[in-house]
Amino acid sequence: MSAPLLEARAVTRRYRMPRESLFRAPPVLTAVDSASFILERGETLGIVGESGSGKSTLARMVMAFETPDAGQILFDGQDLGQLSAGDLRRQRQRFQMVFQDPFGSLDPRRSVGWSIAEPLRAIGAENRAHRVAEALEQVNLHAADAEKYPHEFSGGQRQRIAIARAIVTRPELIVADEAVSALDVSVQAQILNLLMDLQDELGLAMLFISHDLAVVASICDQILVMQHGKSIEQGRATEVLNAPTQDYTKSLLIAAGA
Amino acid sequence: MIELQDFSVSFKSGTALRQASLAIRPGDRTGIVGESGSGKTMLAMSLMGMAPAAADLSGKLVLDGRDMTGADDRGWEALRARKVAMIFQEPMTALNPLRRVGDTVMDPLRLHLGLSKAEARARALALFEEVGIPSPVERLRQFPHELSGGQRQRVVIALALACDPELLIADEPTTALDANVALRIIDLLVRLAEERQMALLFISHDLAAVARATRDIVVMYGGDIVERGPTAEVLTTPRHPYTQGLLGARPNPVAEPRGADGKRPRLPTIPGSVPTLQDLPSGCRFSGRCPVELPVCAGTRPGSTLISATRLANCHALKQEVSA
Ligand SMILES: Nc1ncnc2c1ncn2[C@@H]1O[C@H](COP(=O)(O)OP(=O)(O)OP(=O)(O)O)[C@@H](O)[C@H]1O
Ligand SMILES: Nc1ncnc2c1ncn2[C@@H]1O[C@H](COP(=O)(O)OP(=O)(O)O)[C@@H](O)[C@H]1O
Ligand code: SF4
Ligand SMILES: [Mg+2]
Ligand SMILES: [Mg+2]
Repeated sequence: MSAPLLEARAVTRRYRMPRESLFRAPPVLTAVDSASFILERGETLGIVGESGSGKSTLARMVMAFETPDAGQILFDGQDLGQLSAGDLRRQRQRFQMVFQDPFGSLDPRRSVGWSIAEPLRAIGAENRAHRVAEALEQVNLHAADAEKYPHEFSGGQRQRIAIARAIVTRPELIVADEAVSALDVSVQAQILNLLMDLQDELGLAMLFISHDLAVVASICDQILVMQHGKSIEQGRATEVLNAPTQDYTKSLLIAAGA
Repeated sequence: MIELQDFSVSFKSGTALRQASLAIRPGDRTGIVGESGSGKTMLAMSLMGMAPAAADLSGKLVLDGRDMTGADDRGWEALRARKVAMIFQEPMTALNPLRRVGDTVMDPLRLHLGLSKAEARARALALFEEVGIPSPVERLRQFPHELSGGQRQRVVIALALACDPELLIADEPTTALDANVALRIIDLLVRLAEERQMALLFISHDLAAVARATRDIVVMYGGDIVERGPTAEVLTTPRHPYTQGLLGARPNPVAEPRGADGKRPRLPTIPGSVPTLQDLPSGCRFSGRCPVELPVCAGTRPGSTLISATRLANCHALKQEVSA
């Protein structure tokens, strides 16, 4: 049996806070505390939990933007923390990220095509214009939109552009951190459907972070519940939402109006 | 108490608010929902007599029976400060990062109510207690960055309540907060409105938040009010095609497994996207995206159709259905 596409094994991430006084050791905040999960190929794992529970910190470790202080992130069986810089750069095209704020993540002074090609330049890929055009069409925009600038697009269209940038390297995994949270309901539904279409077409796995349980319910196969940096519950979405075992998960469901 | 009659706000690029009428009575809790750009903030600003100076205005603004349209003298400013207060989505817009939050809340108490420093301090403390800020004595001396997002929003609410407004307008007050914190802020606003007999105008694109906060609801699309009525009725049996589309597109917190083909069920959507101001159709603003559109819709604006004693919607198809 092959390894799962992505696995977190008891990962921990600590941050040193500012010193309160010269004579005391600086306090340490454990943002992620021995969290574990498994994501299979082609599936979507939703991570839920309230603000500050460590969701984004976990995502940054999956993306290898940060290194765990303990535990491992295994991508396709390889410990990301053990890869050489060159190997990590080569692996990067296989996992890409979509952020919450499509304004902040696109450079306003660069054409959309330039921004979408960014991950391709990072890996020295050839044929960039062609692949940018292909990615734009996959997110239901037009190849000609590559010439335009971010301010010429609506919020929903900008999020499509951010998704085009994430899929342009033909990754196997997309990490989406609150990728639809800033969008209006009707635009949000269109973007969620687009992500599901892309998953069917490209066989993508997704790590989908959201504080909105209803959104997670609509798109995820598996759900991981985070509280105070710990992974307190993982299971099939149908089970976690219909028969949560943790009181904390129940309270999230009540807040979501279930 | 405050009433807009056929009020319009137009820019060179188009009409951001088209002949809106809305009356707020003491104790009302009214919600405004609609997508980004639908004119929610324009409606709220118009109610405060604060529509942008660059805009062309028409229609009437009536305050306590007096026509205040175009009044912009200083008397009106002071009147407004005591009548109406507003809180915004991002608490930091109302807070000065370099000042202690207690001082910020004391400002209007001294300026508009003429309280002494000691009186203002006591009142600020009482306000902090009223809005549920933990350890209020210490918090008065803290700076905004030392508070959590939810605590900051409570400070902003305390600031808005300082001069005992009769109407509190909350424009997307919970959008920047996570779900559990948002719930507590909504419940706080409802409690304050009830205890103080204060009217609440709650603006949000979050239907669940509006459902919890309000008794009546106004649905906006493309600068038009398209449907209104009791919140619970409108959200359970929406009659305007846009309201129906919006409610349909909202995911439910119920997990659905993949189908036999291995695919997930898709969410219902409204086709297309909200047009920009200059591209809005002249008739029904929803024409071009509406699943039950009639030939008359694109060119002729639908009037209000009475659905019940308390419910109205503006739609040609609905009018035919109701009169049939
Ligand atoms: N670079 C950092 N330095 C210090 N503390 C940090 C840093 N990044 C995150 N934290 C802290 O770690 C904890 C977890 O933060 P994280 O951003 O992962 O939460 P989250 O679950 O994504 O929250 P949200 O829903 O608000 O995005 C928080 O207490 C946060 O303040
Ligand atoms: N100062 C302005 N100049 C031109 N157009 C504006 C101005 N302010 C708002 N608008 C336009 O008016 C419409 C309604 O805006 P707004 O009331 O802020 O919407 P909402 O609060 O519902 O998101 C939008 O199309 C917006 O772009
Ligand atoms: S007026 Fe016409 S286009 Fe507008 S909502 Fe009704 S049926 Fe649809
Ligand atoms: Mg986060
Ligand atoms: Mg607004």
